[in-house]
Amino acid sequence: MPKSQYVDPNKVFEPGFISFNDIPVCQYKKTLAEEKKIYTKDDMMRIYHDMRIIREFETMLNEVKTKSAYNGIEYNNPGPAHLSIGQEASAVGEAYALDMNDFSFGSHRSHGEIIAKSLSSIHKLDEKEVYDIMKEFLGGTLLSIVEKHMPTSNIKELAKNFILYGALAEIFARTTGFNKGLGGSMHAFFIPFGLMPNNAIVGGSAPIALGAALYKRANHKPGIIIANSGDGALGRGPVLESFNFASMDQITKLWGMDGKYPNGGLPILFNVFNNSYGMGGQTRGETMGYDMAARLGAGFNPDMMHAERVNGYDPFAVIDAVSRKKELLLAGKGPALLDVVTYRVSGHSPSDSSTYRTQEEIDAWIAADPIAAYKAKMIKGKVATEAEFAAIDEDIINRMTTVMKLAINDEISPRMDLTKNPEAISSIMFSNEKVKSMDPTREAEMLVPKEECPRVKEIKGKIRTAKDANGKPVSKMKMYNIRDGLAEPIIDKFYDDPTLIAYGEDNRDWGGAFGVYKKMTEAIPYHRFFNSPISESAIVGSAVGYAMCGGRAIVELMYADFMGCAGDEIFNQMAKWQSMSAGILKMPIVLRVSVGSKYGAQHSQDWTALAAHIPGLKVVFPSTPADAKGLMTAALEGTDPVIFFESQRIYDKGEEFLKDGVPEGTYEIKMGDPDVKKEGKDITILTIGAVLYRALEAAKTLEEKYGISAEVIDTRSIVPFDYTKVIESVKKTGKIIIVGDAVERGSIMKDMAANISELAFDYLDAPAIALGSRNWITPAHELETEFFPYPDTIIDCIHEKILPIPGYVAKHNFSDVEKIERYKKGV
Amino acid sequence: MATLVIMPRQGQSVESCVITEWKKKKGDTVAEGDVLFSYETDKSSFDEPATVAGVLLEVFAEDGDDVPCLDPVCIIGQAGEDISALMPKASAEESAPAAEEKAEEKVEEVKKEEVVVATASADKDGMLKISPRAKNLANKTYADLSAVTPTGPNGRVIERDVNRLLDNGQRLTPEQYETFMKTGVAPASQVEEAPAAAAAATAPVAEYEDVKLSNVRKVIAKSMHESLSNMAQLTLNASFDATQIMAYRAMLKKNAEAMGLNNITFNDMVLFAVAKTLKNHKDCNAHYLGDKMRFFNNVNLGIAVDTERGLLVPTVFNADKMSLNELSANAKTVIKAAQGGSISPDLLSGGTFTVTNLGAMGIESFTPVINPPQTCILGVCNISRRVKQVNGEDVFYDAMGLSLTFDHRALDGAPAARFLKELCANLENFNLLMAK
Repeated sequence: MPKSQYVDPNKVFEPGFISFNDIPVCQYKKTLAEEKKIYTKDDMMRIYHDMRIIREFETMLNEVKTKSAYNGIEYNNPGPAHLSIGQEASAVGEAYALDMNDFSFGSHRSHGEIIAKSLSSIHKLDEKEVYDIMKEFLGGTLLSIVEKHMPTSNIKELAKNFILYGALAEIFARTTGFNKGLGGSMHAFFIPFGLMPNNAIVGGSAPIALGAALYKRANHKPGIIIANSGDGALGRGPVLESFNFASMDQITKLWGMDGKYPNGGLPILFNVFNNSYGMGGQTRGETMGYDMAARLGAGFNPDMMHAERVNGYDPFAVIDAVSRKKELLLAGKGPALLDVVTYRVSGHSPSDSSTYRTQEEIDAWIAADPIAAYKAKMIKGKVATEAEFAAIDEDIINRMTTVMKLAINDEISPRMDLTKNPEAISSIMFSNEKVKSMDPTREAEMLVPKEECPRVKEIKGKIRTAKDANGKPVSKMKMYNIRDGLAEPIIDKFYDDPTLIAYGEDNRDWGGAFGVYKKMTEAIPYHRFFNSPISESAIVGSAVGYAMCGGRAIVELMYADFMGCAGDEIFNQMAKWQSMSAGILKMPIVLRVSVGSKYGAQHSQDWTALAAHIPGLKVVFPSTPADAKGLMTAALEGTDPVIFFESQRIYDKGEEFLKDGVPEGTYEIKMGDPDVKKEGKDITILTIGAVLYRALEAAKTLEEKYGISAEVIDTRSIVPFDYTKVIESVKKTGKIIIVGDAVERGSIMKDMAANISELAFDYLDAPAIALGSRNWITPAHELETEFFPYPDTIIDCIHEKILPIPGYVAKHNFSDVEKIERYKKGV
Repeated sequence: MATLVIMPRQGQSVESCVITEWKKKKGDTVAEGDVLFSYETDKSSFDEPATVAGVLLEVFAEDGDDVPCLDPVCIIGQAGEDISALMPKASAEESAPAAEEKAEEKVEEVKKEEVVVATASADKDGMLKISPRAKNLANKTYADLSAVTPTGPNGRVIERDVNRLLDNGQRLTPEQYETFMKTGVAPASQVEEAPAAAAAATAPVAEYEDVKLSNVRKVIAKSMHESLSNMAQLTLNASFDATQIMAYRAMLKKNAEAMGLNNITFNDMVLFAVAKTLKNHKDCNAHYLGDKMRFFNNVNLGIAVDTERGLLVPTVFNADKMSLNELSANAKTVIKAAQGGSISPDLLSGGTFTVTNLGAMGIESFTPVINPPQTCILGVCNISRRVKQVNGEDVFYDAMGLSLTFDHRALDGAPAARFLKELCANLENFNLLMAK
């Protein structure tokens, strides 16, 4: 909500009409004679060659899946194979127009796109460039295999063998594949040729590609982004969110900041390979209402996303369209949308029995086969002879046969050996690097020097402890609080790392819904710090794409409850790409989420357990200003995705534990290290998040009223987590209660209780007890004391389950009978 | 530098050993090679020699103590040497509760009220509910758990309850503690009061003597009881004409010296015949393992031996591959080792079939008890004169009895009988058997 843009009541009610331009539908009309003026014979033969090689690759996989053999070589491949037989002209046409700086993202049906863009890149690069890329990739392992087993003195021929082998070995889960076999058919990619990850989640690539476009735009990088998807993906929210996010006005209207910075639109082409089906559902006529997918462009911006529908069976039509769109995007007129009409003859997968379409339809499309039609056109137009095409075919079949033999040879192309090296996958779940700047070659773009940043000035005047030298509480206005603990390292990183961007809902002028980004707007340019649309999938998904390209992002979802809106992006994308890429990709993202209170059932949930359950995410939840600063520093310095939990209950808290207050300058806490906030000897209370302060109150009562000395430990981090200190404490006290605000069932408290019971069983004087909230919705604020753990709940639970306290009468029912009853009822 | 002596591990299956007798006392000077103490496993006994010379500085176990293998037994070093680093940790921790006795005064008041959640240490199922931590403390201190007042949730004994016992001096002897933990039966008296002598004086004079069971006896009792209670055992009795083996033995005796043969006994000849005959009866040379049978390719004969310490069954491995003379020699070696009490525990297992001989005691037939998981055991009985009719005339002959017990779970009567029949035939025609 920039103040510069006035919402004028006199204008918004003015009468009028919204008008639309025509959306071109299959308007490519060039004749072969005209095409011969654009393309040389070599170009035309190359187009045939590239389509034909994709066809053979997919045919080979189809044979393997359906007959367990190709060209007499037997092999069984249990993994997926979503083939694109029929879509070759679309893939080759698109790749023809792209170069190395253009990054393309794909779907679960992207073998064709990988091969097409690789072949196009090999053609465009010189021999030395191609050879260097192969030599550097994964330490030259793949290169040495193809050099040894498919030798040729022609570097570009060698490179063809290289990409076919790398892709097939990846599909067959071999360590010599592009991603060491960890990505597989639906996730194969090869960054050196501008091939970014494909995605097994329908539409999953759209927000990621959006993030890549943000990276190009915010870091002034050349090239465009292609977000490939099928027409089925157009039913998905994240895709439509991405269309909108990419179209948002601010990019052209505000990011330029009155000429200070470029003001072009996002360089992204949403390219729909429209094959009429989303698995078995027919999009046009059954599951969609758009009639033609290109119509969607009209809904997102006045440029109608330059939408166009193209004949995807004609490679020249596709080259023409993609080239024109690329020109628009490079001119700052993005985003763009293409509806490339094609057909997948091979069905959704080899197990597709085509119950949803007639044989007549399939036969008609086979008759229209783009490769056969292209060849006929070329022969008729005297571009080449039948024999020339036959020679290409023969070479391809031989090449594919050799590649397949190589890829299924267990000695040359072994699978990962998890018996010999059981921790091979553990070692790539996180990158665990520390990188101060993701691009040390550039200066960070900022509006004012750091010392002039209003927030920096404000923090400078604050008192960094909760109590002053005389033990008197510091006034709220003067006290350095958790917001400041978060802001300090974020501001530092904005000045240190030129790639850092931060966005989310209401981040800029509002200062974040809870004031963490207050007074930062004046220091950071728009393209690095902006308000996003209310599009959680696009917010998180774009951060993933931004990080994949080499940037660092802090994104914010306001309430932790909104993680559900970005479920796929958090759980399948952000968490998995480092390991699915065998460590090739890094994921330096901090996702800030805030746990609410007072705001009822959909705004008060602690979902740490959901985040911790998914391998590949780091999860922290600090509850003091110093810990907030230390962990934010660690999260921002690292290269792993971190879900950063905050709590709205305690943003105002000052530093109550460190005598000298929150340390000045750089202050980092090792992730995973819990902290003893109060020492004790009779019982350990382990806390997660804001409940720390309620636990301390309980400890005070236990000590003063009942003579029980409680040790209070703050977990601070959840993944990773070092149990050593906790076990040491349990050895001393023999008793432990783990407390958090999340609902008890399936919580981190339960998980930790189980681990502690396992690790310290012989030292325990009672079971390790998990105390969370009731398995209910969060009720209204006035009822919260009966829902969340409060000091009396904590003491009740200790009294009933761990250490009966003489003379104490519990108010809450923690009996075994009650527990069985509640679980029986599912509450 | 002092040396810690640990309880050696004798054989892979041995978890602990009982110290039978200390040959040295604390403070004694020992030379390298001096026997420090004797100890026994459940099957054998051994002497532990000193590997260094010095003074026996500390002793951690007494006669009769069951010491886990690899646990410390004693320390040898130079007089006056500091051995605190070698002392087991348990003794250091024992003093810990005393240090914590100074509880804050205001707490004391509350404590006096006592939260008595339950008064008995065992719940209605007879189970003692005790936290792992409290149990560990009691195990170390022998706190009298029969007198404990549990104050934990659901009547669980927790650490503070054990500490209260210790504060009150309610401790047991290690033996009483062990008995209580095993049986749940509270001992009559506690360590602190009622010395044993005083109790004995008031009781009527008892005409019996309590002798603790030896480890060997305990093992025999357990395995015999398990054998009979778990198996379907029954015994077949038969006899054979021993004329030929008697003649054969007489011949061997005469030529033994000249040919350098052992003193080959009837029992050796039976063992030989058993080993050969078993090759045709795999059901009898087998282990019954509940869900499967394990048939052996070779015959490992167990030989029941009466020793001072009780029944031991050493094994002659690969008996089927041996000549009569070899088998006899091997049998003698293991029998002697078993009787001497020095046999390796590894030689006391691995049998596939057992032979037991009570013939020398004039036993005419008996029901030997199978050594599980074997499927058979052969009892060898005495030789007695019998009459049979040959060509219408009464002829006297010497008959030897055999009693074969088999596990009906593993095999049926007919195959067992067939084995016994072939064994009798082989023994009756021993000359022919030797030719095979």
